[in-house]
Amino acid sequence: MTNPPLIPNIEPADSTGGVSFWQDAWHRLWKNKLAFFGLVVITLLAVMSVTAALFPKITGYSYEQQNLALGPMPPSHAHWLGTDPLGRDLLARLLYGGGISLLVGLCATGVSLIIGVIYGAVAGFAGGKTDMVMMRVVDILYALPFAIFVILLMVFFGQNILLLFVAIGAVEWLTMARIVRSQVMSVKRQEFVEAAHALGLGETRIVFRHIIPNLLGPIIVFATLTVPEVILLESFLSFLGLGVQPPHSSWGVLIKEGAEVMEEYPWLLIYPGAIMALTLFSLNFLGDGLRDALDVRGSKD
Amino acid sequence: MPLLNVENLCTAFHTRNGVVRAVQDVSFQLERGETLGIVGESGSGKSVTCYSIMGLVPQPPGRIEHGRAMFDQVDLLSCPPSRLNHIRGRRISMIFQDAMTSLNPFLRIGSQLIEPLMIHEKISRAAAMERALAMLDEAGISEGKQRLKMFPHEFSGGMRQRVMIAMALITKPDILIADEPTTALDVTVQAQILELIAKMQKELGMAVILISHDLGIVSGFCDRVMVMYAGRVMETARTDDLFYDTKHPYTRGLRKSIPALQMKGAELHTIPGQPPDPHHLPPGCPFAPRCEHAVEYCAREEIGLREVAPGHGTACLRVQKENLAV
Repeated sequence: MTNPPLIPNIEPADSTGGVSFWQDAWHRLWKNKLAFFGLVVITLLAVMSVTAALFPKITGYSYEQQNLALGPMPPSHAHWLGTDPLGRDLLARLLYGGGISLLVGLCATGVSLIIGVIYGAVAGFAGGKTDMVMMRVVDILYALPFAIFVILLMVFFGQNILLLFVAIGAVEWLTMARIVRSQVMSVKRQEFVEAAHALGLGETRIVFRHIIPNLLGPIIVFATLTVPEVILLESFLSFLGLGVQPPHSSWGVLIKEGAEVMEEYPWLLIYPGAIMALTLFSLNFLGDGLRDALDVRGSKD
Repeated sequence: MPLLNVENLCTAFHTRNGVVRAVQDVSFQLERGETLGIVGESGSGKSVTCYSIMGLVPQPPGRIEHGRAMFDQVDLLSCPPSRLNHIRGRRISMIFQDAMTSLNPFLRIGSQLIEPLMIHEKISRAAAMERALAMLDEAGISEGKQRLKMFPHEFSGGMRQRVMIAMALITKPDILIADEPTTALDVTVQAQILELIAKMQKELGMAVILISHDLGIVSGFCDRVMVMYAGRVMETARTDDLFYDTKHPYTRGLRKSIPALQMKGAELHTIPGQPPDPHHLPPGCPFAPRCEHAVEYCAREEIGLREVAPGHGTACLRVQKENLAV
């Protein structure tokens, strides 16, 4: 029997050096169980949707395969979540619809992120008259009735899913622009930006290398909170019949179809509704958790 | 020909409450390798003078109303930003008061250090890192290899100021402007930082402008001193002359206010009164209301810096007219 060494083997300090802000934030997120639960659920749903999109037959049924002879069936062994009045498998449609909904959420958020961050950063950094004109434009767009604006876009450009992303993103960037602008205005007065000027760096470099990275916290948080908003909006448009068109499905379409027959076939409303609610909750928890994790003032250092 | 020649610099801020003339008619020369101290209370315009030269005054509300700052046949005050960016950080560098906030918290020390090199000298990242490592060593930071990968929040205040100095000097500039570089630091670290600046100055042969409100620091460090009050130059002279042959009542007040190792119970000297409201500067000499030597014409006549002894200028009207000894 060998005695354990008296002096424990002390691992040399992390040779990569430096605990970055992100490692720190990740640690705080890990400790926030609710937010971490949100992250797991979102990842799971995303993986399942992608798998369903890559292997359409994984549930045994395709999202558009009808079985009129079968008709609406409650959940069973053959159809885990039941079938709709056309005999289509609900699980397949739900997974396929989830892919569409999440895709709309991510793409529209991406579009709004790009427009909002650049627009807000330019306005905030330029300041003065440029800033005033740019923000008045945002105010005017804000005043437009939002749903009507999207509906107009949809009518004008036709019902194309890609355009749906763009239309939603084009409306959602306004708040992002305002948030980014105000943050840029406070960051650009900090000494390290002054020091960057004093080092002879160009303005573009200062904005993109020194200012925007310092805003990533608020930007990420707001983006996470935008995703559920956009998913909800897509559902709303689909519910009105302006979004995703049958036989394609999205959560909005499924909920709409389910709502029409909820007295006879309640499972058609309950499952899509529950999965959507779960997603929205998860995204909001994740957004809240990220906000806490990325807020340096809230941390103990 | 002086390295930097500032003539009649006037900088004003146009605020909602009126115009603040932060710097009025400031002129000075800086020779190669020389150390110039700029001393004054808060709001005396010493920082704004240097910010104006570096093009760092936010415009608006700031405006450079008048003056020239000739450096290598370029007027820094009127040249286009692209030209100025070619000089800033390469030939004139600046370090700031608060080292805690003048490093970008999101970038590793290494990436920040090499930034001026990458921009001004366009060398490879690896070569720049080599230079950064050598520079950190010069600046008295050991284990540079690991330190380069760290983030600013893992450094103490003194260490950050050392990094700032390394960053400012990595391009071997002709002029270093140090805006109260030790104000935010411990007294023991203060001395180390000043020593570091002096050492680097000797090695690189650069000129230094040291801004401070501490006459004690300036006296031990500078060849020449310029005393500012309410945006104007009150007195300028070689350090020894300024201390032993003071020609302005304000400088004398400052000198007497240095808290030396006084007898216990002995009262500290203060200059009575408050600096004037920058929105409503009094006519005549701005120091007149607080000056024990003030006479009737002090509050009436326009003041200006005039040489009363070789290399020794004062803005005091009485000293200029009557050879008053203060």
